[in-house]
Amino acid sequence: MGLFSKFAFFLGVRKKEVNVLVVGLNNSGKSTVVNHFKNEEERVTEIVPTVGFSVEKFQNQNLAFTAFDMSGHGRYRDLWEHYYKDCHGIIFVVDSSDRLRLVVVKEELDLLLQHPDICNRKIPVLFFANKMDCKDALSSVKIAAGLGLDKIMDKPWHIAASNALTGEGLQEGVEWLTQQIRDVVLNKS
Amino acid sequence: MSRGELNISRWLEAHSDRSAGLNTFARNAILADVCGDGDFRLVLTDVRLEADKRSRLKVYKGTLLTSDQVLPDIPSSLISFYSDELEPRVPSIAVACGSDLLIYKNNKPFYKFCVPPSPITPLEEETWKRFGEPNCDFAQVMTDLKSVRFNQLSARSQELLTLPPEQVPEYITRFTGLTPLKTSPIVSMTTLNRFSEDKSAIACPVLGTESGIIYILDSQTFTILHQADVCNVRTTPAIIKTAGMFDVEYRIVIACRENSICVLRRGWLEGKSLIQMTEDIVDMVLVPGDNFIVVATASKFLHCYTKRGQRVWSAPVFSPVTCLCLVPLKHLSTHLIAVGLKGGSVHLYHGRQPVDYTNSPDSPSALVFGQLGQEEHVMVVITMAGTINFKILKRTADFNLSNQDKLAAPTLQTKPLPLPKRSKLFIEQSMRERQNPIEMHQSFQEDLVRLRLTAARALVHSLTDQSGAGNAQEEIKLSAQVLGLGPKFTLILTLENMNAEKPIYNFLVVFHAKPSVYKLSTYVVFVPLIPPSLSYKMETKVTEVLTNEGVPQPPQAIRVFVMRKEQANPVLAASINMPPTDMTGLLL
Repeated sequence: MGLFSKFAFFLGVRKKEVNVLVVGLNNSGKSTVVNHFKNEEERVTEIVPTVGFSVEKFQNQNLAFTAFDMSGHGRYRDLWEHYYKDCHGIIFVVDSSDRLRLVVVKEELDLLLQHPDICNRKIPVLFFANKMDCKDALSSVKIAAGLGLDKIMDKPWHIAASNALTGEGLQEGVEWLTQQIRDVVLNKS
Repeated sequence: MSRGELNISRWLEAHSDRSAGLNTFARNAILADVCGDGDFRLVLTDVRLEADKRSRLKVYKGTLLTSDQVLPDIPSSLISFYSDELEPRVPSIAVACGSDLLIYKNNKPFYKFCVPPSPITPLEEETWKRFGEPNCDFAQVMTDLKSVRFNQLSARSQELLTLPPEQVPEYITRFTGLTPLKTSPIVSMTTLNRFSEDKSAIACPVLGTESGIIYILDSQTFTILHQADVCNVRTTPAIIKTAGMFDVEYRIVIACRENSICVLRRGWLEGKSLIQMTEDIVDMVLVPGDNFIVVATASKFLHCYTKRGQRVWSAPVFSPVTCLCLVPLKHLSTHLIAVGLKGGSVHLYHGRQPVDYTNSPDSPSALVFGQLGQEEHVMVVITMAGTINFKILKRTADFNLSNQDKLAAPTLQTKPLPLPKRSKLFIEQSMRERQNPIEMHQSFQEDLVRLRLTAARALVHSLTDQSGAGNAQEEIKLSAQVLGLGPKFTLILTLENMNAEKPIYNFLVVFHAKPSVYKLSTYVVFVPLIPPSLSYKMETKVTEVLTNEGVPQPPQAIRVFVMRKEQANPVLAASINMPPTDMTGLLL
């Protein structure tokens, strides 16, 4: 990065573009989470199950995010791995009220972390323990334990309890992710 | 290697509750979208056979019990079906309790259907009329009742006959004036789609009663659309499975308690017995697509039959089967069969091949596979000890079915052979064969006999005639080599003993040539002993006799005989064709 562009970057004139991948099982609230990050006027009122994937853009702290909102349906989960290579961060959305499928979440997370495009990179992973408002929801600590997040040594990770409908907890999580990506990207350049 | 293969099991253990205390039998657990919110629940009946306890209808949301209702009687079967197309789509849950069908919607009682009573015998009706008359001699009338076959009596008369004599008058007076009804309990149930194969299409409940009658009901009005007997002999339908649609064409396959499998088709008033088994039927599933009937028997066997009742395969299982469950895998476009085995394991069969297995805490009593919550591939195992176990099939599991297909060679036998088209020649030949079959057959037989005779003659000839370059019996071999251009030749003979054990001795070689053509240096060579598997070389000079003009004669053969001393028959004979004398060589 040249001196001018670095200067421009700090001034916020030129924004750094980063790609984040939003994954998670179907009905966990990925599209709702992404929808909340968008500008007020761009938001959609009705969220329908994503087919394939959708690309959304939003900004946070002078970082232009391109979010690849992947479909979580079983038959589309094969698509995830094609986007691992170019992403700078991963947002993993977990439905904390779905106790039955916590094993499936763990299975998908293990597949993701063992993927050759992921396992040797220091990619920040942000977990949203979504649907915290549900009465039978598990706490973020329980989900972290259930998914065995303490065993992830080589990647920075963070778990945030969230409610994507109201936006509760989302900002905190994305700020952490922005900080992590900024560190990684700046260290690289 | 697929990713699924790297891990040990293809199943994720989602949840297991050993304290659930469920007593659920096969065909008493279903997965249905009870509330119409797309979140599929597990509905099951918890049977209590004790007199002081009540059976219950339980609904699980995910792994949590959300609804628990008391049932009036012991349930025999449980189904769910869509009765209308109103949005949101909420299916009805139907429980068979005795001769009643209790229908629930949104977890609330909705309707009750009673199986119509069957007519009682005139004698029984007459008996109960006489019971009502004053000064009736009960004991006398009851002997009339005993003359009727016990299983043709109504439940009331049956109970009367089993009562101790002192309770009889009180029992009769309780019912005087009321004609008894003979109802038959529902023993098995299933659903039949009305006009669409769709998963959430309107379906009709199909009931089978103890007395062997099948009722197909309308799902909205609960009137009987069709009624038929299971078979021409009295049988009790234990398991009913359907294929097809009520309005188009359907096939109801019924496994009976009397170990026969009957089939009932559209418009039939009576089923036809398809298969009569010798062993007890434990469970049966119908594989959609090719309509195979897979039956598990008490003798630890799985049998597969076509829809016409021909056996396709049989496979032994190592432990007694407790229940079966169809595992449809849409993404692999195949159907597996989950087989619950005594001792606590579930095996998955693809056709006759076992492709996978998974464990359960103890012997499974009910197996159900389908969508639960948001997850499409969930297997719920309810065990005899009351444990409820949820397993989720991994997304990456493909069961190596592409490899399995190659192994399942016997299925190819059902395909017709790739015969070529009938040629004109073939048709003409077959016409001729049809016109004069006797002559053709006779001439063929004649030719065949001739061929055999020729073969036999050739055999005898080769046995008696010992000529040839080798003699298999004596195991010797002769080879010859002619050197030279002429008129002087050198003939080198090699006699080889092919026997690996015995030496040969007492042999001599005799040359036989026309003296006017060839002159030989020796005519008789005595062969010394040839040890086993060694050879002996002998050399003879041959001089061609030239005519006076110096012109060579046409070449002739020299015959060689290998003889055993003091025997007239040669052991081996050969003739050596001599080359013509090269005149150019002579001129030089």
